[in-house]
Amino acid sequence: MSILCSMTSESYNLTTEEELVRASLTGDKKAFGEIVNRYQKMVARTVKSMLGDTIFTEDIGQEVFIKLFFSLSEFRGEAKLSTYIQKIAVNLTLNEIKRRKRFFTMFSQKANNEMHEFEIADHDTEKRNEASELVNKALMEMDYKFRIIVTMRMLQGYSTKETAEILDLPLGTVLSRLSRAQEQLRNILAKL
Amino acid sequence: MNIAAVKKLIINSLNPDFNSGDVSSRLEEEGISYNFSQNFTENVLSRLFPAGLTLNREIEFAKYMNFAFYRVALTGVAAIVLLLISIFIMEGSLSLNSFLGLSDSYAESIVCLLTGN
Repeated sequence: MSILCSMTSESYNLTTEEELVRASLTGDKKAFGEIVNRYQKMVARTVKSMLGDTIFTEDIGQEVFIKLFFSLSEFRGEAKLSTYIQKIAVNLTLNEIKRRKRFFTMFSQKANNEMHEFEIADHDTEKRNEASELVNKALMEMDYKFRIIVTMRMLQGYSTKETAEILDLPLGTVLSRLSRAQEQLRNILAKL
Repeated sequence: MNIAAVKKLIINSLNPDFNSGDVSSRLEEEGISYNFSQNFTENVLSRLFPAGLTLNREIEFAKYMNFAFYRVALTGVAAIVLLLISIFIMEGSLSLNSFLGLSDSYAESIVCLLTGN
């Protein structure tokens, strides 16, 4: 399989998005592997910053690309492929957050607290530096509606307009959430 | 970059008019990065293209063909048995003439039938 991956990067390094999508639609494994290679870091930023480094985030990341594979025929090339993938990642991540909320609500009255503890406790064991710990803790403290805005702006570098397009929200809503997210983040960071 | 500078950068990145394009790369320099495991691509591909999928399809095709053949063969055998029973009931025997529908015909009648004379 590692041979496949090296072949993938050699054969498809200079291939355009459109060609990769077309090849993937014919079932070309290497072409789709190249799409995964190109965009996995972007998906990891969205999924891991939103859900924390839990044992399930890798699964959600895989689900993003599996869903992409089966919906590639619907991709018309009007938007960038990265935007299309980002939308899938955001939707699946928000669904997972809602699912977790429902799960914890079923078993506990203090759903938010329990969920927060779950996210923190399940952090992977790799050593993180101080700055990384700070950002992760701050993100996990935030309301998920603000956390997604912060992720899009701060970690993905999208403009306000692009954020609105990906989240399927009016620009005004994004601007107001951005301002409230900034306020909440400032308060959280002051305590950390 | 110290922690205070990181905090300031994070908060400023949320200003609507702030160009946040290079924030992620600056944060990455500070060790704030998110990655999946090294085998991520392989795991996705193995979920999408399981190794024995093509082989499994061929085996399943052969299995369904066998099944279809048995269904057709059994139906055929049942039809033949029913035919034999009905001939036996109608003709009273299972001779060649009964099979050909000639049991009560005389040789002259057959010649007449075939030649018209």
